[in-house]
Amino acid sequence: MPTRFRIICLLAVSMAIARPAYADETAPAPPWPAIEFKGFGTLGVARSDSKDSQFVRDLSQPDGLGKHWSGKTDTMFGLQANLTLSPRTGAVMQGLVRYRYDGSWRPELNLAFLRHDLAPDFTLRAGRMGTEFYLQADARQVGYASTMLRPPADYFGPIVVSYFDGVDASLTGDTGYGLLRGKLFAGWAAEKTPVVKPHTWDLRGSRMAGAYLDYLNGPWQMRVSRSQIRFQHELPLDAVAGFPILTLAPELGIEGHHATYDSLGLIYDEGRLQVQGQVSSIHYDTSAYEDTRAGYVMLAYRVGPVTPYLSYSRSRSRAASLSTPTVPALQTAIRQFMAQTHSDQATYTLGARWDFQRNLALKAQLDMIRADRSSRFPQRYTQNDWDGSLNVFSLALDFVF
Amino acid sequence: MPTRLFFLLLLLANCPTVDAEPVVVVAAQQATERLSREEVANIFLGRYRALASGLPAQPIDQPPASALRSAFYQQLVNKDTASINAYWSRLHFSGKATPPLQTTEENEVIRQLLSIPGGIAYVERKQVDQRMRIVFEFMPRVTHESRVNP
Repeated sequence: MPTRFRIICLLAVSMAIARPAYADETAPAPPWPAIEFKGFGTLGVARSDSKDSQFVRDLSQPDGLGKHWSGKTDTMFGLQANLTLSPRTGAVMQGLVRYRYDGSWRPELNLAFLRHDLAPDFTLRAGRMGTEFYLQADARQVGYASTMLRPPADYFGPIVVSYFDGVDASLTGDTGYGLLRGKLFAGWAAEKTPVVKPHTWDLRGSRMAGAYLDYLNGPWQMRVSRSQIRFQHELPLDAVAGFPILTLAPELGIEGHHATYDSLGLIYDEGRLQVQGQVSSIHYDTSAYEDTRAGYVMLAYRVGPVTPYLSYSRSRSRAASLSTPTVPALQTAIRQFMAQTHSDQATYTLGARWDFQRNLALKAQLDMIRADRSSRFPQRYTQNDWDGSLNVFSLALDFVF
Repeated sequence: MPTRLFFLLLLLANCPTVDAEPVVVVAAQQATERLSREEVANIFLGRYRALASGLPAQPIDQPPASALRSAFYQQLVNKDTASINAYWSRLHFSGKATPPLQTTEENEVIRQLLSIPGGIAYVERKQVDQRMRIVFEFMPRVTHESRVNP
Protein backbone atom coordinates (compact mmCIF):
# COMPACT_ATOMS: atom_id res chain seq x y z
CA MET A 1 0.00 0.00 0.00
CA PRO A 2 2.66 2.58 0.83
CA THR A 3 4.21 1.74 -2.54
CA ARG A 4 0.97 2.59 -4.28
CA PHE A 5 0.76 5.86 -2.42
CA ARG A 6 4.34 6.62 -3.43
CA ILE A 7 3.53 5.91 -7.07
CA ILE A 8 0.62 8.30 -6.93
CA CYS A 9 2.76 10.95 -5.27
CA LEU A 10 5.40 10.56 -7.95
CA LEU A 11 2.73 10.80 -10.62
CA ALA A 12 1.35 13.89 -9.01
CA VAL A 13 4.73 15.54 -8.71
CA SER A 14 5.64 14.79 -12.32
CA MET A 15 2.28 16.19 -13.36
CA ALA A 16 3.16 19.40 -11.60
CA ILE A 17 6.63 19.63 -13.09
CA ALA A 18 5.59 18.73 -16.61
CA ARG A 19 2.83 21.30 -16.70
CA PRO A 20 2.27 22.69 -20.18
CA ALA A 21 3.20 26.27 -21.03
CA TYR A 22 0.44 28.83 -20.82
CA ALA A 23 -0.15 32.15 -22.44
CA ASP A 24 0.10 33.81 -19.07
CA GLU A 25 3.35 32.07 -18.15
CA THR A 26 5.30 35.21 -19.05
CA ALA A 27 3.23 37.35 -16.72
CA PRO A 28 4.97 38.49 -13.54
CA ALA A 29 4.60 36.17 -10.57
CA PRO A 30 1.17 36.78 -9.11
CA PRO A 31 0.93 37.94 -5.52
CA TRP A 32 -0.52 34.59 -4.39
CA PRO A 33 0.70 33.37 -1.08
CA ALA A 34 3.02 30.46 -1.72
CA ILE A 35 1.75 28.52 1.25
CA GLU A 36 -1.33 29.05 3.35
CA PHE A 37 -2.40 27.30 6.54
CA LYS A 38 -6.00 26.97 7.61
CA GLY A 39 -7.76 24.78 10.09
CA PHE A 40 -11.11 23.60 11.29
CA GLY A 41 -12.46 21.76 14.24
CA THR A 42 -15.35 20.81 16.43
CA LEU A 43 -15.58 20.53 20.18
CA GLY A 44 -18.60 18.38 20.70
CA VAL A 45 -20.26 16.55 23.54
CA ALA A 46 -23.16 14.15 23.25
CA ARG A 47 -25.03 11.50 25.19
CA SER A 48 -28.03 9.27 24.67
CA ASP A 49 -30.79 8.03 26.94
CA SER A 50 -30.11 4.34 26.54
CA LYS A 51 -27.21 1.97 27.00
CA ASP A 52 -28.89 -0.72 24.92
CA SER A 53 -27.68 0.69 21.60
CA GLN A 54 -24.62 2.85 21.05
CA PHE A 55 -25.03 5.81 18.71
CA VAL A 56 -22.05 6.47 16.42
CA ARG A 57 -21.42 9.29 13.99
CA ASP A 58 -20.71 6.66 11.34
CA LEU A 59 -19.57 3.05 11.36
CA SER A 60 -15.90 4.06 11.23
CA GLN A 61 -16.19 4.58 15.01
CA PRO A 62 -15.59 1.44 17.07
CA ASP A 63 -18.08 2.33 19.81
CA GLY A 64 -20.56 5.03 20.58
CA LEU A 65 -22.57 6.93 23.11
CA GLY A 66 -24.11 5.79 26.34
CA LYS A 67 -25.91 7.69 29.08
CA HIS A 68 -22.84 9.77 29.96
CA TRP A 69 -21.64 12.85 28.11
CA SER A 70 -18.80 12.03 25.76
CA GLY A 71 -16.66 14.07 23.39
CA LYS A 72 -15.56 11.25 21.13
CA THR A 73 -18.44 11.21 18.64
CA ASP A 74 -18.11 14.67 17.16
CA THR A 75 -14.86 16.22 18.36
CA MET A 76 -12.22 16.66 15.68
CA PHE A 77 -9.43 18.93 14.60
CA GLY A 78 -7.99 19.46 11.15
CA LEU A 79 -5.09 21.47 9.85
CA GLN A 80 -4.58 22.12 6.16
CA ALA A 81 -1.73 23.54 4.12
CA ASN A 82 -2.41 24.83 0.62
CA LEU A 83 0.62 25.26 -1.53
CA THR A 84 0.29 27.33 -4.69
CA LEU A 85 2.83 26.31 -7.29
CA SER A 86 1.43 28.28 -10.20
CA PRO A 87 -1.89 29.95 -10.96
CA ARG A 88 -3.11 26.56 -12.17
CA THR A 89 -1.29 24.12 -9.95
CA GLY A 90 -1.53 23.62 -6.24
CA ALA A 91 -1.03 21.04 -3.54
CA VAL A 92 -3.19 20.37 -0.50
CA MET A 93 -2.25 18.50 2.67
CA GLN A 94 -4.58 17.99 5.56
CA GLY A 95 -3.99 16.29 8.88
CA LEU A 96 -6.98 15.20 10.93
CA VAL A 97 -7.39 14.17 14.54
CA ARG A 98 -10.60 12.32 15.37
CA TYR A 99 -11.85 9.25 17.20
CA ARG A 100 -10.49 6.41 15.07
CA TYR A 101 -11.44 2.86 14.18
CA ASP A 102 -8.93 1.54 16.76
CA GLY A 103 -10.25 3.73 19.56
CA SER A 104 -7.23 6.03 19.41
CA TRP A 105 -6.93 9.68 18.45
CA ARG A 106 -3.79 9.24 16.38
CA PRO A 107 -3.53 11.97 13.70
CA GLU A 108 -3.95 10.79 10.15
CA LEU A 109 -3.22 12.20 6.74
CA ASN A 110 -6.71 12.92 5.47
CA LEU A 111 -5.79 14.73 2.25
CA ALA A 112 -2.55 14.93 0.29
CA PHE A 113 -2.97 15.68 -3.36
CA LEU A 114 -1.80 17.76 -6.26
CA ARG A 115 -4.35 19.68 -8.22
CA HIS A 116 -3.87 20.97 -11.72
CA ASP A 117 -6.28 22.91 -13.94
CA LEU A 118 -5.60 21.79 -17.51
CA ALA A 119 -8.16 24.43 -18.44
CA PRO A 120 -10.27 26.64 -16.18
CA ASP A 121 -13.10 24.10 -16.49
CA PHE A 122 -11.03 20.90 -16.47
CA THR A 123 -9.27 19.87 -13.26
CA LEU A 124 -7.12 16.86 -12.49
CA ARG A 125 -6.11 15.75 -9.02
CA ALA A 126 -3.83 12.97 -7.87
CA GLY A 127 -2.96 11.76 -4.39
CA ARG A 128 -5.12 11.22 -1.32
CA MET A 129 -8.58 12.73 -1.63
CA GLY A 130 -11.93 12.67 0.14
CA THR A 131 -14.51 10.15 -1.06
CA GLU A 132 -17.57 11.58 -2.73
CA PHE A 133 -19.94 8.67 -2.72
CA TYR A 134 -22.78 11.06 -1.94
CA LEU A 135 -23.46 14.76 -2.30
CA GLN A 136 -21.70 16.61 0.56
CA ALA A 137 -19.88 13.47 1.65
CA ASP A 138 -16.37 14.84 1.16
CA ALA A 139 -16.36 17.48 3.90
CA ARG A 140 -18.24 15.49 6.53
CA GLN A 141 -15.65 16.29 9.18
CA VAL A 142 -15.94 20.06 8.73
CA GLY A 143 -18.77 20.92 11.09
CA TYR A 144 -18.60 24.63 10.33
CA ALA A 145 -19.48 23.96 6.69
CA SER A 146 -22.80 22.33 7.55
CA THR A 147 -26.00 23.53 9.06
CA MET A 148 -26.58 20.30 10.97
CA LEU A 149 -24.38 19.24 13.86
CA ARG A 150 -23.41 16.05 12.03
CA PRO A 151 -24.42 14.38 8.77
CA PRO A 152 -27.57 12.22 9.21
CA ALA A 153 -26.25 8.86 10.45
CA ASP A 154 -29.00 6.81 8.79
CA TYR A 155 -27.73 8.09 5.47
CA PHE A 156 -23.98 8.64 5.88
CA GLY A 157 -23.39 6.07 8.62
CA PRO A 158 -22.54 3.12 6.34
CA ILE A 159 -19.83 5.12 4.54
CA VAL A 160 -16.69 4.05 6.37
CA VAL A 161 -14.23 5.13 3.70
CA SER A 162 -13.38 8.79 4.16
CA TYR A 163 -10.47 9.03 1.76
CA PHE A 164 -8.73 7.12 -1.02
CA ASP A 165 -5.42 7.20 -2.87
CA GLY A 166 -5.86 7.76 -6.58
CA VAL A 167 -6.83 10.25 -9.25
CA ASP A 168 -9.88 12.22 -10.21
CA ALA A 169 -10.88 14.45 -13.09
CA SER A 170 -13.69 16.95 -13.25
CA LEU A 171 -15.08 18.82 -16.21
CA THR A 172 -17.54 21.69 -15.94
CA GLY A 173 -19.60 23.19 -18.74
CA ASP A 174 -22.02 26.09 -18.94
CA THR A 175 -25.17 24.97 -20.75
CA GLY A 176 -26.70 28.43 -20.67
CA TYR A 177 -29.38 26.94 -18.41
CA GLY A 178 -27.08 26.12 -15.54
CA LEU A 179 -23.78 24.33 -15.10
CA LEU A 180 -23.11 20.67 -15.66
CA ARG A 181 -20.16 19.09 -13.89
CA GLY A 182 -19.00 15.56 -14.37
CA LYS A 183 -16.41 13.86 -12.22
CA LEU A 184 -14.65 10.52 -12.45
CA PHE A 185 -12.45 9.05 -9.76
CA ALA A 186 -10.47 5.86 -9.30
CA GLY A 187 -8.04 4.59 -6.72
CA TRP A 188 -7.59 2.43 -3.66
CA ALA A 189 -9.05 2.64 -0.19
CA ALA A 190 -6.43 3.36 2.47
CA GLU A 191 -8.16 2.80 5.79
CA LYS A 192 -9.15 0.13 8.24
CA THR A 193 -12.55 -0.04 9.81
CA PRO A 194 -13.80 -1.52 13.09
CA VAL A 195 -16.00 -4.62 13.21
CA VAL A 196 -16.55 -5.89 16.75
CA LYS A 197 -13.82 -5.06 19.24
CA PRO A 198 -10.99 -5.98 19.00
CA HIS A 199 -11.49 -7.04 15.38
CA THR A 200 -10.94 -4.66 12.50
CA TRP A 201 -11.38 -5.04 8.78
CA ASP A 202 -8.61 -3.99 6.45
CA LEU A 203 -9.98 -1.97 3.53
CA ARG A 204 -6.56 -0.93 2.31
CA GLY A 205 -5.88 -1.77 -1.29
CA SER A 206 -9.57 -2.17 -2.09
CA ARG A 207 -10.13 -0.81 -5.58
CA MET A 208 -12.60 2.05 -5.83
CA ALA A 209 -14.06 3.93 -8.76
CA GLY A 210 -17.00 6.18 -9.31
CA ALA A 211 -18.58 9.04 -11.14
CA TYR A 212 -21.09 11.75 -10.56
CA LEU A 213 -22.94 14.35 -12.54
CA ASP A 214 -23.87 17.67 -10.95
CA TYR A 215 -26.34 20.20 -12.20
CA LEU A 216 -26.04 23.65 -10.68
CA ASN A 217 -28.42 26.48 -11.39
CA GLY A 218 -28.80 29.46 -9.07
CA PRO A 219 -29.93 28.08 -5.72
CA TRP A 220 -30.32 24.53 -7.08
CA GLN A 221 -27.84 21.72 -7.01
CA MET A 222 -28.63 18.20 -8.13
CA ARG A 223 -26.35 15.18 -8.18
CA VAL A 224 -26.59 11.63 -9.43
CA SER A 225 -23.70 9.37 -8.54
CA ARG A 226 -22.49 5.82 -8.61
CA SER A 227 -19.44 4.46 -6.82
CA GLN A 228 -18.10 0.99 -6.45
CA ILE A 229 -15.56 -0.66 -4.22
CA ARG A 230 -14.00 -4.11 -4.64
CA PHE A 231 -12.94 -5.46 -1.27
CA GLN A 232 -9.39 -6.68 -1.12
CA HIS A 233 -9.51 -8.45 2.24
CA GLU A 234 -11.84 -10.85 3.98
CA LEU A 235 -13.91 -9.73 6.97
CA PRO A 236 -12.73 -11.42 10.21
CA LEU A 237 -16.08 -13.25 10.35
CA ASP A 238 -14.87 -16.54 11.83
CA ALA A 239 -13.20 -14.73 14.70
CA VAL A 240 -16.24 -12.54 15.33
CA ALA A 241 -18.78 -15.39 15.08
CA GLY A 242 -16.68 -17.81 17.12
CA PHE A 243 -17.32 -20.66 14.66
CA PRO A 244 -16.11 -21.30 11.08
CA ILE A 245 -19.00 -19.42 9.55
CA LEU A 246 -17.19 -18.74 6.26
CA THR A 247 -16.80 -22.47 5.65
CA LEU A 248 -20.45 -23.14 6.49
CA ALA A 249 -21.78 -20.23 4.45
CA PRO A 250 -19.21 -19.23 1.81
CA GLU A 251 -21.66 -16.69 0.38
CA LEU A 252 -20.67 -14.47 3.32
CA GLY A 253 -17.21 -14.08 1.83
CA ILE A 254 -16.47 -10.51 0.81
CA GLU A 255 -12.94 -10.67 -0.56
CA GLY A 256 -13.11 -9.95 -4.28
CA HIS A 257 -16.74 -8.86 -3.99
CA HIS A 258 -18.24 -5.46 -4.58
CA ALA A 259 -20.39 -2.85 -2.94
CA THR A 260 -22.16 -0.39 -5.23
CA TYR A 261 -23.44 2.95 -3.99
CA ASP A 262 -26.05 4.83 -6.02
CA SER A 263 -27.41 8.14 -4.94
CA LEU A 264 -29.51 11.08 -5.96
CA GLY A 265 -29.23 14.36 -4.09
CA LEU A 266 -30.96 17.70 -4.32
CA ILE A 267 -30.20 21.00 -2.59
CA TYR A 268 -32.17 24.22 -2.70
CA ASP A 269 -30.29 26.98 -0.95
CA GLU A 270 -31.67 30.48 -1.37
CA GLY A 271 -31.28 33.33 1.05
CA ARG A 272 -32.54 32.20 4.43
CA LEU A 273 -34.02 28.93 3.25
CA GLN A 274 -32.11 25.70 2.82
CA VAL A 275 -33.69 22.41 1.76
CA GLN A 276 -31.73 19.22 1.19
CA GLY A 277 -32.82 15.75 0.25
CA GLN A 278 -31.01 12.59 -0.80
CA VAL A 279 -31.82 8.97 -1.47
CA SER A 280 -29.34 6.15 -1.85
CA SER A 281 -29.08 2.45 -2.44
CA ILE A 282 -26.18 0.24 -1.42
CA HIS A 283 -25.94 -3.11 -3.12
CA TYR A 284 -23.53 -5.93 -2.21
CA ASP A 285 -22.79 -8.91 -4.41
CA THR A 286 -22.13 -10.91 -1.26
CA SER A 287 -24.33 -11.82 1.69
CA ALA A 288 -21.86 -10.36 4.20
CA TYR A 289 -23.89 -7.16 4.43
CA GLU A 290 -27.51 -6.43 3.69
CA ASP A 291 -28.52 -4.26 0.75
CA THR A 292 -29.66 -0.94 2.15
CA ARG A 293 -31.82 1.92 1.03
CA ALA A 294 -31.68 5.22 2.84
CA GLY A 295 -32.80 8.80 2.49
CA TYR A 296 -33.15 12.08 4.32
CA VAL A 297 -34.68 15.51 4.03
CA MET A 298 -33.49 18.58 5.89
CA LEU A 299 -35.14 21.96 6.17
CA ALA A 300 -33.42 25.02 7.65
CA TYR A 301 -34.46 28.64 7.89
CA ARG A 302 -32.11 31.36 8.99
CA VAL A 303 -33.34 34.04 11.38
CA GLY A 304 -30.59 36.59 11.99
CA PRO A 305 -27.58 34.68 13.34
CA VAL A 306 -29.66 31.62 14.29
CA THR A 307 -30.62 28.81 11.92
CA PRO A 308 -33.13 26.33 13.29
CA TYR A 309 -33.44 23.09 11.34
CA LEU A 310 -35.46 19.90 11.10
CA SER A 311 -34.60 16.66 9.46
CA TYR A 312 -36.02 13.23 8.87
CA SER A 313 -33.94 10.25 7.80
CA ARG A 314 -34.78 6.66 7.10
CA SER A 315 -32.73 3.54 6.55
CA ARG A 316 -33.91 0.07 5.69
CA SER A 317 -32.10 -3.06 4.61
CA ARG A 318 -33.20 -6.30 3.02
CA ALA A 319 -32.13 -9.60 4.52
CA ALA A 320 -29.30 -11.17 2.52
CA SER A 321 -29.79 -14.60 1.01
CA LEU A 322 -28.35 -17.74 2.52
CA SER A 323 -27.96 -20.36 -0.18
CA THR A 324 -25.66 -23.07 1.14
CA PRO A 325 -27.78 -25.92 2.57
CA THR A 326 -27.03 -26.76 6.18
CA VAL A 327 -28.72 -28.21 9.26
CA PRO A 328 -31.52 -26.01 10.71
CA ALA A 329 -29.73 -25.30 14.01
CA LEU A 330 -26.66 -24.00 12.21
CA GLN A 331 -28.81 -22.09 9.77
CA THR A 332 -30.45 -20.25 12.69
CA ALA A 333 -27.06 -19.37 14.12
CA ILE A 334 -25.84 -18.08 10.77
CA ARG A 335 -29.06 -16.11 10.24
CA GLN A 336 -28.72 -14.53 13.68
CA PHE A 337 -25.18 -13.54 12.86
CA MET A 338 -26.19 -12.00 9.54
CA ALA A 339 -29.01 -10.04 11.19
CA GLN A 340 -26.35 -7.99 13.02
CA THR A 341 -26.11 -5.68 10.01
CA HIS A 342 -29.87 -5.27 9.60
CA SER A 343 -31.28 -1.78 9.48
CA ASP A 344 -34.88 -0.59 9.76
CA GLN A 345 -35.16 2.77 11.44
CA ALA A 346 -36.00 6.44 11.15
CA THR A 347 -34.54 9.48 12.88
CA TYR A 348 -36.34 12.73 13.64
CA THR A 349 -33.88 15.53 14.23
CA LEU A 350 -34.28 19.07 15.40
CA GLY A 351 -31.58 21.55 16.16
CA ALA A 352 -30.20 25.02 15.75
CA ARG A 353 -27.00 26.60 14.57
CA TRP A 354 -25.98 29.93 16.06
CA ASP A 355 -23.34 31.95 14.20
CA PHE A 356 -22.48 34.04 17.23
CA GLN A 357 -19.08 35.23 16.01
CA ARG A 358 -17.11 35.23 12.82
CA ASN A 359 -15.78 31.72 12.10
CA LEU A 360 -17.53 30.25 15.15
CA ALA A 361 -20.82 28.41 15.30
CA LEU A 362 -22.58 26.83 18.26
CA LYS A 363 -25.02 24.01 17.63
CA ALA A 364 -27.50 22.04 19.68
CA GLN A 365 -29.27 19.00 18.32
CA LEU A 366 -31.75 16.36 19.37
CA ASP A 367 -31.99 13.09 17.43
CA MET A 368 -34.89 10.78 18.08
CA ILE A 369 -34.23 7.36 16.60
CA ARG A 370 -37.29 5.18 16.24
CA ALA A 371 -36.44 1.72 15.05
CA ASP A 372 -37.86 -1.68 14.54
CA ARG A 373 -36.47 -3.85 17.31
CA SER A 374 -34.53 -5.80 14.70
CA SER A 375 -32.57 -2.73 13.61
CA ARG A 376 -28.83 -2.87 14.36
CA PHE A 377 -27.09 -0.60 11.82
CA PRO A 378 -25.89 2.10 11.85
CA GLN A 379 -25.52 1.89 15.64
CA ARG A 380 -23.10 -0.32 17.52
CA TYR A 381 -23.49 -2.93 20.26
CA THR A 382 -27.27 -3.06 20.19
CA GLN A 383 -28.62 -5.37 22.88
CA ASN A 384 -31.33 -7.89 22.08
CA ASP A 385 -33.71 -6.27 24.56
CA TRP A 386 -33.39 -2.78 23.05
CA ASP A 387 -36.89 -1.35 22.63
CA GLY A 388 -36.03 0.47 19.38
CA SER A 389 -36.02 3.96 20.83
CA LEU A 390 -32.89 6.05 21.23
CA ASN A 391 -32.65 9.79 21.87
CA VAL A 392 -29.33 11.57 21.35
CA PHE A 393 -28.53 14.99 22.81
CA SER A 394 -25.61 16.90 21.31
CA LEU A 395 -23.82 20.21 21.67
CA ALA A 396 -20.99 21.37 19.44
CA LEU A 397 -18.78 24.35 18.88
CA ASP A 398 -17.51 24.49 15.29
CA PHE A 399 -14.67 26.72 14.26
CA VAL A 400 -12.47 27.54 11.29
CA PHE A 401 -9.32 29.61 11.36
CA MET B 1 -26.07 38.24 26.55
CA PRO B 2 -29.59 39.25 25.33
CA THR B 3 -28.34 42.82 24.77
CA ARG B 4 -25.44 41.49 22.76
CA LEU B 5 -27.74 39.29 20.69
CA PHE B 6 -30.02 42.25 20.10
CA PHE B 7 -27.12 44.35 18.79
CA LEU B 8 -25.94 41.50 16.64
CA LEU B 9 -29.40 41.18 15.13
CA LEU B 10 -29.55 44.91 14.62
CA LEU B 11 -26.16 44.87 12.95
CA LEU B 12 -27.12 42.02 10.66
CA ALA B 13 -30.45 43.54 9.77
CA ASN B 14 -28.70 46.76 8.89
CA CYS B 15 -25.85 45.35 6.87
CA PRO B 16 -27.47 45.50 3.43
CA THR B 17 -28.70 49.04 3.91
CA VAL B 18 -25.20 50.34 4.67
CA ASP B 19 -24.30 52.86 2.00
CA ALA B 20 -22.53 50.36 -0.24
CA GLU B 21 -23.18 50.04 -3.92
CA PRO B 22 -20.97 47.31 -5.32
CA VAL B 23 -20.36 47.05 -9.06
CA VAL B 24 -18.37 44.26 -10.69
CA VAL B 25 -15.31 45.42 -12.65
CA VAL B 26 -12.39 44.11 -14.70
CA ALA B 27 -9.28 45.89 -15.92
CA ALA B 28 -10.13 48.09 -18.95
CA GLN B 29 -7.74 46.17 -21.24
CA GLN B 30 -9.54 42.86 -20.60
CA ALA B 31 -11.77 41.47 -23.33
CA THR B 32 -14.77 40.81 -21.07
CA GLU B 33 -17.54 43.29 -21.82
CA ARG B 34 -20.53 42.05 -19.89
CA LEU B 35 -21.34 39.28 -17.42
CA SER B 36 -24.71 38.01 -16.24
CA ARG B 37 -25.58 37.72 -12.56
CA GLU B 38 -25.33 33.93 -12.86
CA GLU B 39 -21.83 34.20 -14.40
CA VAL B 40 -20.68 36.56 -11.65
CA ALA B 41 -22.08 34.17 -9.02
CA ASN B 42 -20.35 31.19 -10.68
CA ILE B 43 -17.02 33.03 -10.68
CA PHE B 44 -17.20 34.27 -7.09
CA LEU B 45 -18.58 31.00 -5.72
CA GLY B 46 -15.84 29.00 -7.47
CA ARG B 47 -18.28 27.02 -9.60
CA TYR B 48 -17.13 28.00 -13.06
CA ARG B 49 -14.34 30.39 -13.90
CA ALA B 50 -13.78 30.12 -17.64
CA LEU B 51 -14.05 33.55 -19.27
CA ALA B 52 -15.12 33.90 -22.91
CA SER B 53 -11.51 34.94 -23.65
CA GLY B 54 -10.29 31.52 -22.54
CA LEU B 55 -8.49 32.95 -19.53
CA PRO B 56 -9.49 31.71 -16.13
CA ALA B 57 -11.26 34.38 -14.11
CA GLN B 58 -9.47 35.26 -10.87
CA PRO B 59 -11.98 36.77 -8.46
CA ILE B 60 -10.72 39.17 -5.81
CA ASP B 61 -12.57 39.66 -2.54
CA GLN B 62 -12.82 42.76 -0.37
CA PRO B 63 -11.42 42.39 3.17
CA PRO B 64 -13.38 39.84 5.26
CA ALA B 65 -15.03 42.36 7.59
CA SER B 66 -15.87 44.97 4.97
CA ALA B 67 -19.44 46.23 4.57
CA LEU B 68 -18.99 46.19 0.80
CA ARG B 69 -18.24 42.46 0.89
CA SER B 70 -21.37 41.62 2.83
CA ALA B 71 -23.47 43.92 0.62
CA PHE B 72 -22.06 42.24 -2.48
CA TYR B 73 -22.89 38.67 -1.47
CA GLN B 74 -26.21 39.70 -0.01
CA GLN B 75 -27.22 41.23 -3.34
CA LEU B 76 -25.62 38.55 -5.49
CA VAL B 77 -26.89 35.37 -3.83
CA ASN B 78 -28.94 36.69 -0.89
CA LYS B 79 -26.49 35.22 1.65
CA ASP B 80 -24.95 36.79 4.72
CA THR B 81 -21.25 36.70 5.50
CA ALA B 82 -21.45 33.71 7.86
CA SER B 83 -23.22 31.61 5.20
CA ILE B 84 -20.64 32.57 2.59
CA ASN B 85 -17.82 31.65 4.99
CA ALA B 86 -19.47 28.28 5.72
CA TYR B 87 -19.85 27.69 1.98
CA TRP B 88 -16.15 28.32 1.40
CA SER B 89 -15.02 26.21 4.30
CA ARG B 90 -16.66 23.19 2.63
CA LEU B 91 -14.90 23.83 -0.68
CA HIS B 92 -11.59 24.78 0.89
CA PHE B 93 -11.32 21.81 3.25
CA SER B 94 -12.29 19.32 0.58
CA GLY B 95 -9.69 20.90 -1.70
CA LYS B 96 -12.24 21.49 -4.44
CA ALA B 97 -11.97 25.13 -5.35
CA THR B 98 -9.96 28.13 -4.29
CA PRO B 99 -11.83 31.01 -2.72
CA PRO B 100 -11.47 34.47 -4.26
CA LEU B 101 -8.14 36.12 -3.52
CA GLN B 102 -8.35 37.51 -0.03
CA THR B 103 -7.18 41.07 0.49
CA THR B 104 -6.45 42.75 3.78
CA GLU B 105 -7.19 46.30 2.77
CA GLU B 106 -9.40 48.06 0.29
CA ASN B 107 -6.63 49.68 -1.80
CA GLU B 108 -5.15 46.27 -2.48
CA VAL B 109 -8.24 45.18 -4.41
CA ILE B 110 -7.75 47.64 -7.26
CA ARG B 111 -3.99 47.13 -7.31
CA GLN B 112 -4.48 43.38 -7.76
CA LEU B 113 -7.32 43.81 -10.23
CA LEU B 114 -5.00 45.73 -12.54
CA SER B 115 -2.05 43.38 -12.20
CA ILE B 116 -3.59 39.88 -12.34
CA PRO B 117 -4.60 38.40 -15.71
CA GLY B 118 -8.30 37.56 -15.59
CA GLY B 119 -8.76 39.58 -12.40
CA ILE B 120 -12.33 40.43 -11.50
CA ALA B 121 -13.45 42.39 -8.46
CA TYR B 122 -16.34 44.32 -6.99
CA VAL B 123 -15.78 47.89 -5.84
CA GLU B 124 -17.82 50.88 -4.77
CA ARG B 125 -19.39 52.56 -7.79
CA LYS B 126 -17.61 55.79 -6.89
CA GLN B 127 -14.22 54.02 -6.97
CA VAL B 128 -14.56 53.14 -10.68
CA ASP B 129 -12.20 55.07 -12.95
CA GLN B 130 -10.96 54.82 -16.57
CA ARG B 131 -8.60 51.91 -15.70
CA MET B 132 -11.62 49.65 -15.09
CA ARG B 133 -14.72 48.50 -16.91
CA ILE B 134 -18.04 47.71 -15.22
CA VAL B 135 -19.12 44.25 -16.39
CA PHE B 136 -22.06 43.79 -14.06
CA GLU B 137 -24.22 46.01 -11.88
CA PHE B 138 -27.15 45.14 -9.70
CA MET B 139 -30.68 46.18 -10.58
CA PRO B 140 -32.07 49.25 -8.82
CA ARG B 141 -31.64 48.55 -5.16
CA VAL B 142 -35.26 48.76 -4.05
CA THR B 143 -36.09 45.24 -5.24
CA HIS B 144 -33.21 43.69 -3.33
CA GLU B 145 -33.82 45.58 -0.15
CA SER B 146 -37.40 44.44 -0.14
CA ARG B 147 -36.13 40.86 -0.49
CA VAL B 148 -33.44 41.15 2.09
CA ASN B 149 -35.33 43.16 4.66
CA PRO B 150 -38.94 42.21 4.50
